Amino acid sequence: MNTVKQSLGGIKQFFIEVGELSYFAGRFFKELFKPPFEFKELLRQCYHMGNRSLVLVMVTAFIIGLVLTLQSRPTLIEFGAESWMPNMVGISIVRELGPVITALVCAGRIASGIGAELGSMRVTEQIDAMEVSGTNPFKYLVVTRILAITLMLPLLVIMGDAVALYGSALVENFKGNVSFQLYFNRVFDALDYRDLVPATIKSFFFGFAIGLVGCFKGYYSKKGTAGVGLAANTAVVFTSMLLFIIDFVAVFISDIFYDL
Amino acid sequence: MERTSLEKLRLGIFVILGTALLVIAAYLIGNRQNMFGNTFTIHAVFKNVNGLQKANNVRYSGINVGTVKDIVMENDSTIDVIMLIQENMMEHIKKDAIATIGSDGLVGSMIVNIVPGEGLGEKIKSGDQIISYSRIGAEDMMSTLNVTTENAALLTADLLKVTSALNRGEGTLGRLLNDTLMANNLEKTILNLKLASANASNTLNEVNKLVMAAANSENSVFGVLMRDSLAGLEIKGIIHNLESASDRMQKLTINLDSIVTGIAEGDGALNYLSKDTIFVQRLEATMKNIEEGTAKFNENMEAFKHNFLTRGYFKKMAKEEAKAAKKEKVKN
Repeated sequence: MNTVKQSLGGIKQFFIEVGELSYFAGRFFKELFKPPFEFKELLRQCYHMGNRSLVLVMVTAFIIGLVLTLQSRPTLIEFGAESWMPNMVGISIVRELGPVITALVCAGRIASGIGAELGSMRVTEQIDAMEVSGTNPFKYLVVTRILAITLMLPLLVIMGDAVALYGSALVENFKGNVSFQLYFNRVFDALDYRDLVPATIKSFFFGFAIGLVGCFKGYYSKKGTAGVGLAANTAVVFTSMLLFIIDFVAVFISDIFYDL
Repeated sequence: MERTSLEKLRLGIFVILGTALLVIAAYLIGNRQNMFGNTFTIHAVFKNVNGLQKANNVRYSGINVGTVKDIVMENDSTIDVIMLIQENMMEHIKKDAIATIGSDGLVGSMIVNIVPGEGLGEKIKSGDQIISYSRIGAEDMMSTLNVTTENAALLTADLLKVTSALNRGEGTLGRLLNDTLMANNLEKTILNLKLASANASNTLNEVNKLVMAAANSENSVFGVLMRDSLAGLEIKGIIHNLESASDRMQKLTINLDSIVTGIAEGDGALNYLSKDTIFVQRLEATMKNIEEGTAKFNENMEAFKHNFLTRGYFKKMAKEEAKAAKKEKVKN
């Protein structure tokens, strides 16, 4: 009986959290178009989230491209379809791996960062102080962060895609004597707008989800210093889960629109 | 402030680089589909497009020259394929070019292949329609192949039987292949046949000469027979007689045959005698008994002669016999 009560409480808590998150998102959109705009802070956040994540994203993407090519080479050779490697790698990276891997890396780095930062600000009552001093903390802290990562993630994804394809081309160049030009010709032969456009749109949603959950967890963090760690932790877990759900929905929708 | 402007610079580079990459990718993809640059459209009408889709490649003599812009179903059996072709290909493609639908490799996507027609046609213009050939579907090809392989399997099975029989030396061919002696014999036989035919030819020549000589000579029997009409008539008569004689002979033989058959199959004593071996044995035994009986009878008669009751009679008989013998002697 106790377990049932507990699980029921958990489910109730989950719905409450989703509701609060929705309110939070609604507030974000309301504040987004309301002046004054915090451009300076937005640019600062863009730099921190975009440029500072670039190396991490690039290294991850490079290795993913390299490993994906190395791993699928034997199978493709077995089928005598070695020449289809650029098509396969190109489509899988642009459609799926690029956005998802980049988003997951950013969820780890940025969502936890935002969660911890805003959490500690909440705990040390800096947010309350801002409210008192007349600055809109939501506008200054939350809107700029969510907007920054929403704008930066697609750029990170496209750079990640390029680096991953470069890594893959490098393997093909070394192992299969395929020139870079031929490799990228084949990649763009295989690619279509129906690969690039949904992936890019998807990346915006990924960025938005990372920023939203990170800010939400940090902004409403409680229970002192322990709450900061919890906020950072749950931000990453919740974001990662949300990313996959968004990915599923995005694939589902793009399938409906493009599979006609 | 210094740090902030550096950050801004870096951010600017990052954003521009990312956006440029996105634009380049979009341009490259669009370029592949001939969305930019000068193009013109041509049409080809097919009955079956074999799964061709919009944006599939169009090749002219194997070079990518454009893409499929649209596929329109005109009526229940006519499909209009509209193709976007690069403008610089306009001077190379002629109006009599032929469009076919093929696939890019065994597992690749479908493509439209345009091949040049024969002869010198007019240059193509935008909006022109070119001739098309519908491709044979893979399924049709497979079903034909299936029949072919089945036939091939039957053929090879039969061939196997034939070759194994040949190896075992069965049949004329097998013996011919395996029997080396026979080959030699055959060779000899053929040689002999050759000789024989040569001899026969010689002999025939000789005979021919002889016949001619005989026929030409008046004194020879043959000549006489050939020429003498009287002798011919007589011979005819002789032959006629011979014929009738043989007829009679035949009848006689038939009669004899029937008699013999009657004897053999009938119930007469002769048949009985000729067939029944037991009877013959009995007859033999009876004859033996009779012989023995007569011997005994002779003994008995001798005993009678000496018997005192009958002795007188026998003496009297002997005297009469002697008298009769004397009379005979006197007569003679």
